[in-house]
Amino acid sequence: MSTSSQSAALKFEILARCSTTKARASILTLPHGPVPLPIFQPVATQASLKGLTPVQLAQTGCNLCLNNTYHLGLKPGQETLEVIGGAHVLQGWKGNILTDSGGFQMVSLLELAKITEEGVCFSSPHDGTPMLLTPEHSISLQNTIGSDIIMQLDDVIVTTSPDAVRMKEAMQRSIRWLDRCIAAHKRPEKQNLFCIIQGGLDLEMRKICCEEMARRDTPGIAIGGLSGGEDKVSYCQVVDTCTDLLPQNKPRYVMGVGYPEDLVVSVALGADMFDCVWPTRTARFGNAITATGNLNLRHASFANDFTPIDADCSCECCRSEEKGGLGITRAYIYHVASKETAGAHLLTMHNVHYLLSLMGKVRAAIIEDRYPEFLRSYFRKAYGDMQKIPTWATTALRKVGVDLRA
Amino acid sequence: MAAVHDHGPARLSSSICSFELQSPSPEANKPRIGHLSFQDRVPIETPHYVAVSSRGAVPHLSQDMMRGNTRINAMYAAIEDFIEKATHQSQTPPVFNFPAAPHESPLRKFIALQKSALLILGPRRIPPLPCPASSTHSAISIVTALGYGMLEYTDYIEAVQKLRPDIVLGMGDVLFGHKPGFKRRDMMGDRTLAWMKGLVEGMTDEENGTPRTALFAPILPIEAEQQSYYLDALKDELSDHISGLVLYDIASIDAISPTLHHLPRLSLAPISTPHDLLNAISLGHDIFAIPFITSASDAGIALSFSFPSPTQDPNTPTALPLGIDMWSPTHATSLSPLSPNCTCYTCTHHHRAYIQHLLNAKEMLGWVLLQLHNHHIIDEFFAGVRTSIKQNSFQETRTAFHKLYTAELPEKTGQGPRVRGYQFKSEKSEPRRNPPAYRALDHGKEKLDDAKEKLAEAEKLSLSVDAGDLEERGSGEGLGEKVD
Repeated sequence: MSTSSQSAALKFEILARCSTTKARASILTLPHGPVPLPIFQPVATQASLKGLTPVQLAQTGCNLCLNNTYHLGLKPGQETLEVIGGAHVLQGWKGNILTDSGGFQMVSLLELAKITEEGVCFSSPHDGTPMLLTPEHSISLQNTIGSDIIMQLDDVIVTTSPDAVRMKEAMQRSIRWLDRCIAAHKRPEKQNLFCIIQGGLDLEMRKICCEEMARRDTPGIAIGGLSGGEDKVSYCQVVDTCTDLLPQNKPRYVMGVGYPEDLVVSVALGADMFDCVWPTRTARFGNAITATGNLNLRHASFANDFTPIDADCSCECCRSEEKGGLGITRAYIYHVASKETAGAHLLTMHNVHYLLSLMGKVRAAIIEDRYPEFLRSYFRKAYGDMQKIPTWATTALRKVGVDLRA
Repeated sequence: MAAVHDHGPARLSSSICSFELQSPSPEANKPRIGHLSFQDRVPIETPHYVAVSSRGAVPHLSQDMMRGNTRINAMYAAIEDFIEKATHQSQTPPVFNFPAAPHESPLRKFIALQKSALLILGPRRIPPLPCPASSTHSAISIVTALGYGMLEYTDYIEAVQKLRPDIVLGMGDVLFGHKPGFKRRDMMGDRTLAWMKGLVEGMTDEENGTPRTALFAPILPIEAEQQSYYLDALKDELSDHISGLVLYDIASIDAISPTLHHLPRLSLAPISTPHDLLNAISLGHDIFAIPFITSASDAGIALSFSFPSPTQDPNTPTALPLGIDMWSPTHATSLSPLSPNCTCYTCTHHHRAYIQHLLNAKEMLGWVLLQLHNHHIIDEFFAGVRTSIKQNSFQETRTAFHKLYTAELPEKTGQGPRVRGYQFKSEKSEPRRNPPAYRALDHGKEKLDDAKEKLAEAEKLSLSVDAGDLEERGSGEGLGEKVD
């Protein structure tokens, strides 16, 4: 079984596999440098990670972040991006960028959009005139953006949709659109097109989609349509099913996942890449991610809490001044949360650093082949009492050979 | 508060804070060069400025940005930013409880201000919001995050004792927003004197005193004759205790007794352009708090002046702008820095097109980058001012500056960041400052129903939802997002 793959603009190499679970540690080399997998990718929606400079973002350990095609297509617009020379030049980011197809907005705006075989028809946010997003247009936009990983336009519908006929149509159309995307892709030597597996929660449909799309041999593969309100048991089943069928030697990206426990479980199920706006959005609402759970630092109980956001965290905010950090306390975040944007910047730095560092620890555990122990200690710390660990997590992990309550 | 100890006259701060005037002479009404040094802090060459903080941070700049990407080495903090829990909920302000050694400032640790920077504490924010209530004999009116309140001078003394900043500004009976009446003016000096005496007592208290805090005394923004009793006290009984003066009016220089000319002068006078600054410098003001730096950044304006000004191009006789409106779409594809040859973080890492995009997309980073650049411009401005004073060319250089640049900063055309209650005071029948981020759900539904109808009719959409709304409703971000 091959453990590596190479295409014109990507090299993927598995360094270690967990001997119990399906977890893998690998290196993904993209045009803007190597990315250690498993990885969490923060979302810089409009070519900016919510108040952080690219240098600050790099300091969190990030070398691969997201931009949103839909947003960049509106502002600054394709023409401007063309003149400037793409999103890397626009934002002064030396690392890698992944862009979505612009199609995700369909899920949330489904009622406002009409999907045909040709593409997605929606109204222009500028003047309300009808606009058509086709696979060709999406790829053309992403070619102009110049992102290192580009995503196919897919027909996304909510996973919880009871309409099996529509679900099947969406899955099959996504395969057809993949072919159109591959044909339209002008810069395969510089940008990597990833396919997106669809099929909702129907495991049979997912299987068909996996087989069909794997045959197209894209440099990487995404599992899409999840994180849309489905229950976690179904989510885990879909990821588990797909990773069993997908080629080992390709990176696997589960879209829209960012809760720490979702990340560590999904890694055990064989996924490598994740993204989510939650860590940065929740930071702006004053919420800190910590090893013992999420803290709402706007709560008055933190007004006099002069400890770091997370005592074990090594981010710029949490390290003491003696250790070259800023020595930011929970009390100070309470003081500025929702009042000064600097407070949001600090928590954004912390949350992104926290998740990247968590993935670093996950990776080290896989390489040292102690991922099952890592999972046990992670959940013990997060929930205190092993009995409080959610059943979906224990079930999913038992299926890959880890008994959390052991 | 314990009584003043009785081991002879206690004296404040002589050894920890010193100010040396270098040139040309320590007389009033002349530009002057000075060196303000404070134990353990980076010395400040004057004329210079102190950064103005809001709730402990220079607006838009997280602490790492301030440390790593600015040359800010002095910061002003207002007590009204920290005491809302005391004023409105009768609780000890959390900052008072921050664990710190006696030689440390709990305030500095709380706001994570670097050790090398000078920390100055005063009662009110800069610029202060006018308050409806007047001062009393023992308190001034303030604005906290929870609303209007009163600051008793005894509470201010306690705050100084607890927070131990490097420099504290004496609480003055200064009115903001309107001119004091004649009778009121008479009381201002008396009140300020009483409060100053109390503060000196508190700061020299044997048990709770602040031997590492220097005191700057206010000069009231009224005629010298109207505060003569207070001014006399400053040069006589209080002179040993004060290390500097705070001025609220440019003209107050004239009220300073010649025997106090050796003291550094911190100017909180209204300053809205670099021309105002040059005027105040020419009269002998030393250190400035400059609200227009942050207000320009908020307005999307990149300051673009330098001192000495560049040689005027005879072919373009029109005045140069003091700043560039970065909202203008003319910058949308410009890969130039904000100012040519500028060495600030923003200009060495980014270009105009990005700043324009960030403002247009209402991304917070736009204001961060402008704030870094604008502080750098002011740093360079003061360096140029000091050189010209040393070289005895200040007046000529100033004249050339006035001639070359426009009188005012450009008008704000775009939308600024969201403002908070403690940052502005709304006037009656004023339009709302922050446009609504969310629309009522039923309003959205109406639109949705409309859209469906039209869709059915014409097979095309006629909805107009702007991108900002999409984002605010949480549907625009991310490839996928959690809704569970």
